[in-house]
Amino acid sequence: MGNRLVATATVIGLALVGTAPGTALAQPGGLGPDEINGRPNLSGVWQAMNTANWNLEAHSAEALDEFWRLGSLASIPAGQSVVVEGSIPYRQAALAQREANQAGWPKADPETVCYLPGIPRATYMPYPFQILQTESDILFAYSYHSANRLVEMDEPIEAPVDTWMGQSNGRWEGDTLVIETHAMNGKPWLDRAGNYLTRDAIVTERLSLVSPDHIDYQATISDSNLFSSDWTIRMPLYRNIEENAQILEYKCVPFVENLLYSDLIGLE
Amino acid sequence: MLIKRFSAAASAALLIAGSATTASAHHSFAAEFDRNKPVHIEGVVVEFQWVNPHSWLIVDAEMDDGSVERWAIEGGAPSALLRRGWTRDTLPAGTRVIVDGSQAKDGKPRANASNINFPDGTSLHFGAGGIGANPDG
Repeated sequence: MGNRLVATATVIGLALVGTAPGTALAQPGGLGPDEINGRPNLSGVWQAMNTANWNLEAHSAEALDEFWRLGSLASIPAGQSVVVEGSIPYRQAALAQREANQAGWPKADPETVCYLPGIPRATYMPYPFQILQTESDILFAYSYHSANRLVEMDEPIEAPVDTWMGQSNGRWEGDTLVIETHAMNGKPWLDRAGNYLTRDAIVTERLSLVSPDHIDYQATISDSNLFSSDWTIRMPLYRNIEENAQILEYKCVPFVENLLYSDLIGLE
Repeated sequence: MLIKRFSAAASAALLIAGSATTASAHHSFAAEFDRNKPVHIEGVVVEFQWVNPHSWLIVDAEMDDGSVERWAIEGGAPSALLRRGWTRDTLPAGTRVIVDGSQAKDGKPRANASNINFPDGTSLHFGAGGIGANPDG
């Protein structure tokens, strides 16, 4: 356990520092060679470019009347569905909670109050994230909330406790990195439209490098409490190709104190 | 120089690792619950939250007037429960439970309980301390 912590700290530390001295840069923002142990090296700074974080399903542009002072700065951009099946196969009973979530937005959304995003939402938030692949571990470090997750590539681990980010166990299927995440605490939402998961959700991601600078990203969501069948989101991830590409911290906790404690501060 | 750089990075990483936000705070029994407000709850498990720093059992309680009220019952940390044989699947949704606990000081439908009892007379120790421990401990 101690060794594991040190290993995690080392990998995260490297993510923060950037390129280790003397290491050849195969990709901007990345570390190491094109392949590691015969597998594609996915290291680098990546980002989704879509509106999935607003709504995984197809949606029109929409004003946010509550923020009228901000005009077009605060409105919902239109987007096509990233759900392979088109729409999310909710059971009828589960739709009521989504509607309650929508009615409670923005404050009910964990993103609004800077809670950790869970998987897969961390992938398509409007911030870059970094993958660090070594011979033994694969780390995801996110700009948002400085979140991170270490993907266990040896024997799958059963999580000792439920958390926002869950436990990720990974394996290679050919050149595709497959990550199965379980034991999220049932609180993460999937987007700002109130789509959500329960504690029994299992998310299976598949990452395939389709060009030096593009990953084909898919995530299959299995949660029989909510959905009549498994469903999948799919989107490209784009490499930040600037030579100085790096993730910067977006520590949002101080930004939400007024919102979280408005009654105590006397703002309302 | 390299060692110093790594050390700083590792420290930063540990700080980040420790920054995960949880929705509920860690606290003593007396800070949130009132031992002089005993509550008796019978109902059905909605969700068992296997989370730090305290586990929570969400129960739809059947009230005397026939209505249903959703209560949150606080238990020990998963690490403490794990050592007693609990897992995240010990109390699946739909399980009938009987809980005698102490209500939150603010009067909200939250309580702390040392035991989860079942209709067949069996029970599981759910509290933070050992069996018979003072709940303030």
